[in-house]
Amino acid sequence: MRKLLLALLGLTAIGGSVGFAATLSVGSGHLWSGSQTLTKGTCTLTGTSVTSDTDVNQLSGNGTNGGSTTMMVLPFSGFAREAFVSFDLSSCNIPSTGGADSATLSLHITNAPSSSRTIDVTPVLSSWSESLTWNLLSGLTFGTRTAQFSTGTTSDVTKTVTVTGDVDQQIKTGSVYGWRLSDSGSNSFNATTFATSESTTASSRPVLTINYEK
Amino acid sequence: MKLAAHILGLALALSATVAACGAAATLALGSNKLSAGNAAVSSCGVSSLSATRKASNAGTVTEVDVPSIPSACAGATLSLTLVGPGGAALGNANATVPAGGGTLVFTSFGATVLATNLLSYSFAVVGP
Repeated sequence: MRKLLLALLGLTAIGGSVGFAATLSVGSGHLWSGSQTLTKGTCTLTGTSVTSDTDVNQLSGNGTNGGSTTMMVLPFSGFAREAFVSFDLSSCNIPSTGGADSATLSLHITNAPSSSRTIDVTPVLSSWSESLTWNLLSGLTFGTRTAQFSTGTTSDVTKTVTVTGDVDQQIKTGSVYGWRLSDSGSNSFNATTFATSESTTASSRPVLTINYEK
Repeated sequence: MKLAAHILGLALALSATVAACGAAATLALGSNKLSAGNAAVSSCGVSSLSATRKASNAGTVTEVDVPSIPSACAGATLSLTLVGPGGAALGNANATVPAGGGTLVFTSFGATVLATNLLSYSFAVVGP
């Protein structure tokens, strides 16, 4: 009889627990689901209306070069030059909740150095204008170098670098103000000259191409 | 007498098993319970969610932020799916909504996700 009672109690307990567990799983907690679809697009920026570019010259500390058709990078101490380029993204109509899926910066070398140089592309984190001078550089802040490219020794070629992270940040925070082009290599009088947005050859002007989401 | 008790015990045990299974099935099919569940399974105040993401220079998704989560969802699990072409899940992440709600920041998705492949986000909030 004791075995009989134990068997009955055990089976009753199993049946009861099955029903109890089912009740818990149905009746517990909150539930919500949803989705957000992203819109993709492409924006290409070039020309004086959306581009600011210039170079600064160590030899002429207060000189400006914003209206020139070219900008130069030169690593020669005392005569050093650095170039700057930025783009106004407002015409792309990308909200700050959007972002760059990919972005490239294209620069046209009008006069290549006689031996290939490596150009550093570094994001500028302070506002600047085409009135920038060498003596104002100390007031700027810079991010970590984004890209490098070799100039080669052939003139009239376009170099393209990826700047996705910087443009993504520019879209979201507005705290990236283009890039500095500099040559941190050995002291040399080998200059690299790039076309600016004022270039009379439209296809040589700097171009920023953004594939974005919003 | 002892043998009879064993036989009787087995018979009763078999009956009880059948009865227990029947009871469980009845519970699972109880439509009244499920209908009444409309009140219990609510959204903890979420009417919509959106996300923003950050991309590396290589174009990979490094962070997804989900803001404006209601405080009533504190303790719930938010599941995020990064959806690509054809509805494919490119990556997933889960996190518990903190006290007070707010923003959840996801930085790991179980896979490298290219921003260019990311077409939508799916969200699910479950519990508490």
